[in-house]
Amino acid sequence: MSKEIAFMEEEIKIEEVKFLSGGQALMECFVAEGVDTIFGYPGGAIMPIYDALYDYTDRINHILVRHEQGASHAAEGYARSSGRVGVCMATSGPGATNLVTGIADAIIDCTPMVAITGQVASNLLGTDAFQETDVIGITTPICKWNYQVTDPDEIPGILAKAFFIARAGKPGPVLIDITKDAQVKSMTKPFEYKPVEGLLGYHPRRVPKMDQVEKAAELINKAKRPYILFGHGVLISEAMEEFREFVEKTDIPCASTLLGLSGISIDHPNYMGWLGMHGMYAPNVMTDQCDVLIAIGMRFDDRVTGDASLFAKQAKIVHIEIDPAEIEKIKKTEAPVIGDVKEVLNLLTPLVKKGDYTGWKNEFRKLEPKEKEAVTDRDLKFEGQIKMAEVVKMVSDKTKGEACVVVDVGQHQMVTARYFEFKRHNSYIASGGLGTMGFAIPAALGAKMGAPDREVIAFIGDGCFQMTIQELGTIAQSKLPVKLIILNNNYLGMVRQWQQLFFEKRYSFVELQNPDFIMISKGFGLEGEKITERDQLSEAIDKMLAHDGGYVLEVVVEKEENVFPMVPAGRSVSEIRLT
Amino acid sequence: MTQYTICVFTENSIGILNKITVIFTRRRINIESLTVSETVRKGVSRFTIVIKHEKREEVEKLVRQIRKIVEVLAVFGYLNDEIVYNEIALFKISTPMGGKALDIDTINRIYKAWVVYWELDYVTIQKTGTEEEIFDFFRYLKPHGIIEFVRSGRVAVGKTPQGLVEYLPEDQEWEYYL
Repeated sequence: MSKEIAFMEEEIKIEEVKFLSGGQALMECFVAEGVDTIFGYPGGAIMPIYDALYDYTDRINHILVRHEQGASHAAEGYARSSGRVGVCMATSGPGATNLVTGIADAIIDCTPMVAITGQVASNLLGTDAFQETDVIGITTPICKWNYQVTDPDEIPGILAKAFFIARAGKPGPVLIDITKDAQVKSMTKPFEYKPVEGLLGYHPRRVPKMDQVEKAAELINKAKRPYILFGHGVLISEAMEEFREFVEKTDIPCASTLLGLSGISIDHPNYMGWLGMHGMYAPNVMTDQCDVLIAIGMRFDDRVTGDASLFAKQAKIVHIEIDPAEIEKIKKTEAPVIGDVKEVLNLLTPLVKKGDYTGWKNEFRKLEPKEKEAVTDRDLKFEGQIKMAEVVKMVSDKTKGEACVVVDVGQHQMVTARYFEFKRHNSYIASGGLGTMGFAIPAALGAKMGAPDREVIAFIGDGCFQMTIQELGTIAQSKLPVKLIILNNNYLGMVRQWQQLFFEKRYSFVELQNPDFIMISKGFGLEGEKITERDQLSEAIDKMLAHDGGYVLEVVVEKEENVFPMVPAGRSVSEIRLT
Repeated sequence: MTQYTICVFTENSIGILNKITVIFTRRRINIESLTVSETVRKGVSRFTIVIKHEKREEVEKLVRQIRKIVEVLAVFGYLNDEIVYNEIALFKISTPMGGKALDIDTINRIYKAWVVYWELDYVTIQKTGTEEEIFDFFRYLKPHGIIEFVRSGRVAVGKTPQGLVEYLPEDQEWEYYL
């Protein structure tokens, strides 16, 4: 009899044990991964997750954006300034599809991101239910990995896998779609989070094979005119110190790609500038002169190479890259080294010798006056209307090149790359691969969340500003002291420049009727000022920098300014134009 | 145009086919034939994909990009002379009263094909072989009136002493069907 009673009591006890719901399990995963910030927007199919989040606001800071595209770009900005995985959330259907641009941007610029989307309940999948969209199908080509969860028990394992994949090897976006029933239902076992350290089919090589390193070292040591091109990989791998040591030990001149900017201090004697379509003159044309090209953490994008078949065709190529699919995707490579930049340089630097490249480096320096005279002096003439370059240069000087700079896409992006004098790493956050207009406002607020101790300043064109203008509300509500500078030429300037140069000045739909940006900013609760005259500029920038809180500075700049140098699309870098 | 056979080993989970085919789509490569089935190892699927391409380097790039898919365990690309390969075809032939009689002896001995099902007014013949052998047989049968003809995708094994499964990651306790 007593035995029976004991048995019954035990049964009652078992019933009392309640395991976490799917939504709670997700929050526990975030806590376990150390996620401190989420950018998101609620909606029907993700409400159970938001309900769970309500109890976690002491540990997780949720930034309510104004449009889901803003959430995905903000997650990118966060990831790029902090080096950690950016997290964004959206509901099913339109919420999920609005994330798409940021996900596509993240995959091409190798930005670690985990996107969570709500989905209709699993019994409604495939029935055209309200706000149902096949987000797995839509995001398959633009995700490093995606997965649909229909069972709350899967959540810890899948999230651990998601964070591992987003971070490992070449980082990228991962999307996890969670059906509403999986968010509501309780798990059938206790929550347990085991971080993933490797997967059956995915184990990117970090430490390179020694024979590859030796072959690369041999090629580098034999070179007479070696030239280093480095990219985003140096920053992603946090190999800035190792890279500087490699450069200093070998004394080889180096140049960066657009996304490699701030990988090495701009005053470093071996740093020759950056290259690409609107890159600097010497770094571009010298690709035709080197005998060994050492490509580090870069992928020979067409905006770097121009006509790839003519790019550095005299040179033997050493390619240090973590993703085997990038080897020989664009250029024939004599010495591929597959591995993480940091690990590769740790093994490679001891094997390379210092060369005497004084004469070779001087060849770069000799070309500099040509660019200075044709481009820089003209951009910084301080005559006529304000030029974009002056604004960037002045902000750079006033922040001593220490600010974390976020840019949108277009002329102002290139001008900022030219004239901002980066002194700190991870300081140029741009949409490089996808060229996403509207990137900067959300990415800047994300960057500020990722690096709260840094001054975050965004340079934005008047066209771009209007693409994600609603995120001013996010900046205001979250009280983020982000400084936004609109370089307003009242044109879609880069397209206009191409129309001028290659389409006989047929300005087809590039002039905008702009709103009163400052009135709009004030409407959102942000302070701001518009200036049109050069003598107002210095004071206006000081005021912006001194302001405690988000701020919009609109500078009306020369209407038909062109960005040079320029390598026309699909042409050889030798056809670079200075005017 | 050269024919290439691509063998892909993947985890057997939902959506892998799409993850693989989007890579072909992006590179504008048409899939000539496709066969998928689970291997003797539980949870591992094997895809055999036949494509035609002019440039070997482009096929190599395709293979490397397929390898990037997280669920993909291994990928191999082959030229036809590097593999033993076959397809299976079914022919439904009408056999009306008073029609031309089928020469089963030739079908069996010369074409190595078998009647696998018959009814009063039609038979179904099964033939395995290469694409060419199947089409040879097709031409032989044509005068009889082919009601229906269906061909499978290719299956292939490499002309090497090892099996491809030996290249699968080793640090895993595999479960086997057999």
